[in-house]
Amino acid sequence: MIIPYLKFRVIIILLSFVSIFIIIFAKTVELQVLERDKLKAKADNQHLKTMNIIPMRGSIYDREMKELAVSMEVDSIYAQPFRIDDAGKSANLVAAALSIDRKELESKFTSKKSFVWVKRQLDFAKAEKVRKLNIQGIGFVKEGKRFYPNPQVASHLIGFVGVDSKGLEGVELGYEEYMAGTSSRLIRERDALGNEISLGSLRQESSKGSDIVLTIDKTIQYIAEKELFKVVANSQAKGGMVIVMAPRTGEILAMANAPHFNPDIFFEYKSPNIWRNKATTDAFEPGSTFKVFLLAALFEEGAARADDLFFCENGHYSVADRTFHDVKKFGWLNLTQIIKYSSNIGAAKAGDRLGKERLYRYIKDFGFGAKTGVGLPGEVGGSVPLLKEWSKVTIGNISFGQGMSTTGIQLLSAFSAIANNGYLMRPYVIKRILNGKGDAIEEFRPSVIRKVISEETARRVTNVIREVTKTDGTGVRAAIDGFEVAGKTGTAQKPDFSVGGYSSDKYVSSFIGFAPADNPEIAILVVVDEPSGEFYGGAIAAPVFKEVATQSLAYLGVFPRGMGTTAQDWNTRVKGAVGYPKDRIAKSLYITQKEPDSLDWERKDFSHMPDFSARTVRSVLRLAREVQIEVRILGSGKAVYQKPLPGEKINHGQAAEVWFK
Amino acid sequence: MKSMIDRRLLGHFDWSIFSLTILLSIIGIINIYSATMIGGSGNLYKKQLIWFLIGFGFMTAITFINYIHLERFAYPIYILSIFLLLLTLLFGRTTSGATRWLNLGFISFQPSEFAKLAVIIILAKYFNTIKMPLKGLSIKGLIWPSILVFAPFILIAKQPDMGTALIVFFIFVSIVIFAKVRVRILVGIILASLPLIPMAWRFLKDYQKARLMSFLDPALDPLGTGYHILQSKIAIGSGGFWGNGFTHGTQGQLRFLPEHHTDFIFSILAEEWGFIGSLTVIALYFSLILLGLNIAQNAKDRLGAFLAFGVSAMLLWHTAINIGMVTGMLPVVVVPLPFMSYGGSFLLTAMIGAGILANVSMRRFIF
Repeated sequence: MIIPYLKFRVIIILLSFVSIFIIIFAKTVELQVLERDKLKAKADNQHLKTMNIIPMRGSIYDREMKELAVSMEVDSIYAQPFRIDDAGKSANLVAAALSIDRKELESKFTSKKSFVWVKRQLDFAKAEKVRKLNIQGIGFVKEGKRFYPNPQVASHLIGFVGVDSKGLEGVELGYEEYMAGTSSRLIRERDALGNEISLGSLRQESSKGSDIVLTIDKTIQYIAEKELFKVVANSQAKGGMVIVMAPRTGEILAMANAPHFNPDIFFEYKSPNIWRNKATTDAFEPGSTFKVFLLAALFEEGAARADDLFFCENGHYSVADRTFHDVKKFGWLNLTQIIKYSSNIGAAKAGDRLGKERLYRYIKDFGFGAKTGVGLPGEVGGSVPLLKEWSKVTIGNISFGQGMSTTGIQLLSAFSAIANNGYLMRPYVIKRILNGKGDAIEEFRPSVIRKVISEETARRVTNVIREVTKTDGTGVRAAIDGFEVAGKTGTAQKPDFSVGGYSSDKYVSSFIGFAPADNPEIAILVVVDEPSGEFYGGAIAAPVFKEVATQSLAYLGVFPRGMGTTAQDWNTRVKGAVGYPKDRIAKSLYITQKEPDSLDWERKDFSHMPDFSARTVRSVLRLAREVQIEVRILGSGKAVYQKPLPGEKINHGQAAEVWFK
Repeated sequence: MKSMIDRRLLGHFDWSIFSLTILLSIIGIINIYSATMIGGSGNLYKKQLIWFLIGFGFMTAITFINYIHLERFAYPIYILSIFLLLLTLLFGRTTSGATRWLNLGFISFQPSEFAKLAVIIILAKYFNTIKMPLKGLSIKGLIWPSILVFAPFILIAKQPDMGTALIVFFIFVSIVIFAKVRVRILVGIILASLPLIPMAWRFLKDYQKARLMSFLDPALDPLGTGYHILQSKIAIGSGGFWGNGFTHGTQGQLRFLPEHHTDFIFSILAEEWGFIGSLTVIALYFSLILLGLNIAQNAKDRLGAFLAFGVSAMLLWHTAINIGMVTGMLPVVVVPLPFMSYGGSFLLTAMIGAGILANVSMRRFIF
């Protein structure tokens, strides 16, 4: 036939046709299967426009889950100018309802943009007014707004957020990544010309950030602030701080700074100095309170005993080119008296006996010159001169707390080691971090940094500094009825940087102490910066310590010996005395631990019951598995009660019971 | 006599060609509906539907007119076609720099589309009548068909409509290869046309040069000419495996994709119906074109073979160039997708072509 001559070429042609289709097919696979995600993202990028809206931020709670900072959903108003019919009229109505500038609003309404914010984070009433106007092209979205229920409480510690709800100071800044909700967005569809398309709806995707639970106790914080503000006002001081710590755990119960500021209007304060948390960000020369650490080093090294005598040179003692002075002319004093009456000359001589190497080592061991890692932004480590720079004068100076600097938190942590059998605990303010469902995602436990001195030394130091608050000691005004207080006063001249040397009329008055002396529950540092008139630590700071300690111990349910065992009794007395409302059942906040070994909770404690309070069922079960105990779950919700109680010995083989509500 | 033939013919009626044609046209109308839903040209799918019905009439008619008559009227058809192209150049309607439309008062159409059919018919007639040398066509045998193709080619290129001109050229080359040409001549032609490329470059209008450059590097100017290719690729890719759903494409719907109901209809389909949709449509074209090739191979005579092959080649090059362009493999050359792109002239041309295929197919058993 005619056809066969076509045959070969038909096969060739067939093959080329097939190849062309294979190429087309392969290209389709490439675009629609292999590169799909990339191209899809490009497409979304073109037609979806996102606006950042402020998400719900995590809350900040005190240790009892009382709110310190919360985010609430409020309305923000936006406009889509191209959908507004009568820009002038609409602007009039909205401007009147919100009492904002009409002209500016009208220019927004007539702008070429497809989306403009009218007013963000409005209160409900104003938003409702605009909602009632029912203007086309005006829309509402929910945004998170920060509220501080008690703006005066712990404001320096908590910090604040900026207009965009980003943390700018304090815990708000330091834990921004936890508390910030995942970037919430408002998504709009638009066409090729950038027009909003009518089919497109506004979608909102948001999720709340994590909650932060502090170790702070709102009540103790309140007590500390109240007393601090009182003394700062009365002595017309420049400022001051009070820190309250649980010496056995390192938990910070209160951290008060003066002068105070209101985080809602932080921008109205002229100087950032006002909102800085000076307890961790500013170092100062501690003065005589530092003699306690000299004492601890002397005892630990066996370099001196409490009744060793030193000649105090009748108030004038020249070393090299310097002359040390005492407030009074002392002759022979033993070491206890040197501390009790706070003799600088005695301390300098005792420091000389210890030697600079050993003194330096103990100073470093107590944590001076290094950040504590308390978990707050902007912490500084203070400064201790390098050993090779120490002169004959330096050793004397440092022995009574001059020529080096420390932050409040460092000083109190170091001091707490004496109250805690020689164990230096890492101070901390964050107890746990909770996710949106209330489960703990991070849990902070007490941790030992190091053992600085022996228990015996700690006990002997405590015995010496008890004398400070007795009869004629410098800190007698810190004494509390029914308790023994161990503490030390401090009165430091402020360095004068303009002329060099020390200022003759500017002082830092301080008192550091713990109570009860034989079973320390709280350690407190009081610092008053530049008081006018009276400036001795014993006169200015010691009474503040007394007030804060008395009220806090009563609140914590720690009763004086021989006061009887009824909480009611003491409560009624204290209530009347300090005028503080108090309805909670007195109970110990802390796990009493006798064996020093078990202090280190980082190594899992299998012998004592953990504290289950406020945890979810799931979190309780997880913790129970870790410490290898069986638990019986009763009810649901958050743990409210447990048996055995926290800190009690675990009787393996017997199930614990946890009640939830 | 006539009725007897009809009955025998009906027995061999090629249902598959008809089904594929109708299926592709309906898919086209559905996608035109979706593509033009937004933007005030919402009735275009109705127009396309009317063109489809007219085309269906023509297709059926062509199927039942013995293709012998096509050979008989080859020259009149060819001359009419050249005449219409000349009229277009002289009196045609100019839109966006190109004169492609001829307005006959009651209707306007693109003569260049029908010229493709005229070229196929005239070439089929020529290769049917010459005595085919055993070794294949020599230069001498190629002179006359080259002249026959060159006339419409140059007229179409002058409009300018490079896409259609290119298709005419491709049809010619395909048919020459199909007819058997000496290998040295084929190689010679290819070598001779290489120096023409830079010359052709000078003939191209600026926008055509820009299109070619943007094809070579679409990112060069993503909001200018490269925009078409990039947008089309984005649309196709964002359809993914299952597609965004009918009328739910964003790129086409939101007009990121230009000319989406004509040249870029495949992108609309791919975005809304996904890989599954594009695979189906590609398979339909593949079947139709292979059927056409099969019809050409099994035709009862050389005339039928050349007619069927010419039509298959036309459909192949349209499909390949269009999909190649919208997927970014080829430069932006305006070549519509057979049956699916919006546009009456080409829908009619393609359907008449399909009618020719069915015609040859039906008569292969009848001597």
